[in-house]
Amino acid sequence: MRRGKREISIFSGKGLYGALVRLVAFSLLWAVLTQGGGGWIIGVPAVVLATFLSLGLHAPISWRWRPMGVLRFIPYFLWQSLRGGIDVSRRALHPKLPIDPAVVHHTLLLPPGPSQVFFANTINLLPGTLSADLHEGHLTIHMLDAGLEYVMELKRVEERVADLFGVELKRR
Amino acid sequence: MAGETVILEVFIFVLMILGALFMLVAALGILRMPDVFTRMSCNAKSVTIGLGFLLFAFMLHFRELGVGSRALATIAFIALTIPVASHRIGRSAYLSGVSLWEGTIRDELGEALKGTREGPHKEDAGDEKR
Repeated sequence: MRRGKREISIFSGKGLYGALVRLVAFSLLWAVLTQGGGGWIIGVPAVVLATFLSLGLHAPISWRWRPMGVLRFIPYFLWQSLRGGIDVSRRALHPKLPIDPAVVHHTLLLPPGPSQVFFANTINLLPGTLSADLHEGHLTIHMLDAGLEYVMELKRVEERVADLFGVELKRR
Repeated sequence: MAGETVILEVFIFVLMILGALFMLVAALGILRMPDVFTRMSCNAKSVTIGLGFLLFAFMLHFRELGVGSRALATIAFIALTIPVASHRIGRSAYLSGVSLWEGTIRDELGEALKGTREGPHKEDAGDEKR
């Protein structure tokens, strides 16, 4: 999905803050990967380069996860991913290959922006769903089994993502 | 103390077997599933879970901060990148009109939306290609 270009200079207050957050995040990541330091001769240029690259690819926009939302979302996500893995294993190992695929369209209740993109990516790890296209709030989904009660399932996932981002779902 | 170690060893063993099994399923899925969407669907989930189990087993086996944090970072990156990659592959396949498996049910709305934007070229996605 191509988002509208938001020109935020890294020299403006908000842009600088966003750049700093990323710089710190990438530095921490380097520290973790190198077991607490060492190799900073390569690390510092890599971190700076990664920061500029990420700013160029994705300008800082205002979104945040709610800490409590994250705590609620992670176990849910892990459990659903495990269910997804078990479900797909059962189908792949079954001699008769029990699949009944369908392409369905789902109108998102989440507001446009990062939460929609996050939702589209999340459902790829959930049982039987693969997001094929996201266009103006309409998500095209490939289902591994059309018999699954996907509408309710997707609504539940949307509620979880809304809780994570702290946004309101649209009412139909 | 020795009993605890044995339990932990068994737990690590089970995790590694499970991880390897999920990876096997991913490979089987590529072979058995009929089209690109069902293959992606199968693979994204089983690879993520399989790698998750294997890396978790490493964490428990080494029980060092350095190994643990790196394994955790790897799990996080896998959980973040695999869904994105499978979405991109699924999307490019869908928009470029890669043929769906013949048994796939198509939503009527999709047919109605056809032509309102570039792709999906469902009308020629059928028999001519492949």
